[in-house]
Amino acid sequence: MRDKKAGIWPYLLVAPALLVVAAVVFVPVGNAVLMSFQSYDLRRPFAIGFIGAGNYSAVFKDTLFWQSVLRTVIWVVFGVGFQFVFGFCLALLLNRDFKGRGAARSVSLIPWVTPGVLIGLMWRWIYDGSYGVLNDILMKIGIIENPVPFLARQDTVFPAVIVTIIWQGIPFFALMLLAGLQGVPAELYEAADIDGANVFGKFFHITVPSLQNTIYVTTLLRIIWVANSVDVIYNMTGGGPAYASQTLSVYVFNKANALNLGYASAMSILLTLMLLLAAVPYLKTLFKIREG
Amino acid sequence: MKIVKKFLALILMFALCMTIASGCRKKDDESSYDTATGEPIEITHWYWADTQQYSAKMQDIVKEFNQTNGKNIKVTAEEYPWDGGGYSETLFTAAMGGGGPDTASWKLTSTPLFVANNLLAVLDSYINGWKDKDDIDENLYQVMRDAGGSDNIYVMPWNTQVLYVYYRPSMFKDAGVSVPKTYQEFLEACRKLTRDTNGDGKVDVYGFGMRGAKGGQEPWGSFIYARGGDFSDFTTDKAVAGMQDFINLFKNGYVPPTAPTDGFNEIIANFKSGKTAMTIHHIGSSVGMVETLGDDVDAFPFPSGESQWTSMGDTENVIFEACDNKDAAFEWVAYLATGKGQEEWCKATGNVPVSKRVQAMPEFQNNKFMKVSIEGAPSAGIFPILDTTTEWINTIWPNTVAAALAGQKTAAAAMQDLQRGLYGG
Repeated sequence: MRDKKAGIWPYLLVAPALLVVAAVVFVPVGNAVLMSFQSYDLRRPFAIGFIGAGNYSAVFKDTLFWQSVLRTVIWVVFGVGFQFVFGFCLALLLNRDFKGRGAARSVSLIPWVTPGVLIGLMWRWIYDGSYGVLNDILMKIGIIENPVPFLARQDTVFPAVIVTIIWQGIPFFALMLLAGLQGVPAELYEAADIDGANVFGKFFHITVPSLQNTIYVTTLLRIIWVANSVDVIYNMTGGGPAYASQTLSVYVFNKANALNLGYASAMSILLTLMLLLAAVPYLKTLFKIREG
Repeated sequence: MKIVKKFLALILMFALCMTIASGCRKKDDESSYDTATGEPIEITHWYWADTQQYSAKMQDIVKEFNQTNGKNIKVTAEEYPWDGGGYSETLFTAAMGGGGPDTASWKLTSTPLFVANNLLAVLDSYINGWKDKDDIDENLYQVMRDAGGSDNIYVMPWNTQVLYVYYRPSMFKDAGVSVPKTYQEFLEACRKLTRDTNGDGKVDVYGFGMRGAKGGQEPWGSFIYARGGDFSDFTTDKAVAGMQDFINLFKNGYVPPTAPTDGFNEIIANFKSGKTAMTIHHIGSSVGMVETLGDDVDAFPFPSGESQWTSMGDTENVIFEACDNKDAAFEWVAYLATGKGQEEWCKATGNVPVSKRVQAMPEFQNNKFMKVSIEGAPSAGIFPILDTTTEWINTIWPNTVAAALAGQKTAAAAMQDLQRGLYGG
């Protein structure tokens, strides 16, 4: 029961924390919403003013926007999908006893703890069409005859950046799923052994159901992070060539860099809405599972 | 006991509020100094450097200025990467957020944006009362005025770089190619210099190192003018013909297949490693070229076709309106424009000095790359400086040209996109 004597004190005490949250979260978000309804282009500061849904209307007519949306879907589906598959495999591997497991666990974290900017630069050189190590290896083992300019060709650039984001995200899935795996009671596997279950049976009927919550939460987090990810693509290609690797978040970044903040804000609000649309059913399913 | 708890809670809340408030407080006294107290007048300067040597040279210049200015001015130079023009965006963001420097190295293309946002100090009164005013050609002051779009000067000249063609004399000799005198000869040289030199059936030397990434619009402009086009209208037949030549170089394999994404680092690395026989850049690269290639590097101005144009890379300095000590800031940018700073920087980088006194020095008169720069100067110009120019250079030009090189757009369609991107409509 609430202490009536406490009066205004609890509010006063949480006020500073609320102020901080409001200042760093709600004010910028509110500002972005406001800017999305304005002609807010810093190159023309004297023309800044409300234009209603003008930015949204222009965005919907923008071919590059729709191309970026499609590319974002591919980026998230393949990026997060393969991160999950490989991350799960790595987690299962690291959950087994073998010599040097501690070292292997530490080393496997390297891609996750490396800054995105550095990853972008590193992979740019790996893929380099003139001096890149990938071309060198592929030529030495006879897969290709001439170097492939992976980041300069429109048919190879997007798969190339997707491979990079997969490489970066595998350890996150591995780490989270490994933590989940360690919480699965060994008795369940012992009972399954007695019942004569094979490896696949144990995996699909014990491991996966036990990790369901972890899988849902981790995947949701990665979907949001990967959809909003700018650093890797921007540092590898800037969204090019010919916009062939431009996802929606990179397009927003490029427009904001060009100082058209109203247009960039409208696109970022739309990106947020799309992520919400994807997240809500996901969370509903998660809650149903928990309640069940 | 309750009173004590409430008192402690109040103190905690007060401390939190003060912490937040201190983070928001403007450091309004930070750069305000009273020289009478002996405190130095501090000037923060931003710059970029293309190499580590240039970076060290700038720090040496700053050190010498601080020791010799006699006015207790202390400059702190902070280096930021050029990043294909991203420097200007970083500078703008910092200046708009109130965290910009007092002075900064500069490119003219950024001027309209900063002027429109009232970020730059007007320099006319300083320049008019400056003893070295006439050491810089009046034409350069006019270029600075034009860039700001008014009669005021916001930008202090520092040095210029005229783009020209670097070539490898040994490769020209092996391929039996003479230094091109006309645009057609240049295109022909690109073809002849593309060769399989080790007989393995693969091309290992490309005739020309094309820059398709940010910054590539400068050498590209020479092709447009060589066919008689110009920047006032990219959609004319002549301008489209220039674009078609540019596309053909890629399509015919006379440039490395990485060209659509090759930027400054790539074209220089390809030239130095012998992967390309020619490339276009300015005198700022000459020191590094000679260090790597010795005598096997020379230069010629981009040859004339129906018309001739080459890009004048410009580098200036500006003083920000928010600078509290503009007199001291002007002492510093003046030192870079005509003083020892000008001499030292241009000697180290090979850039063309703006100071007539420095231009006349033997080191500059006897430099072969300087001679080519001076030879190309009459046809040197700059891109139209509009409020759309930065986005056009950073995003529109590289992506449109990449699509054209890949065959997704015709030359005419690409030029229409470039026209819309720069001039709207």
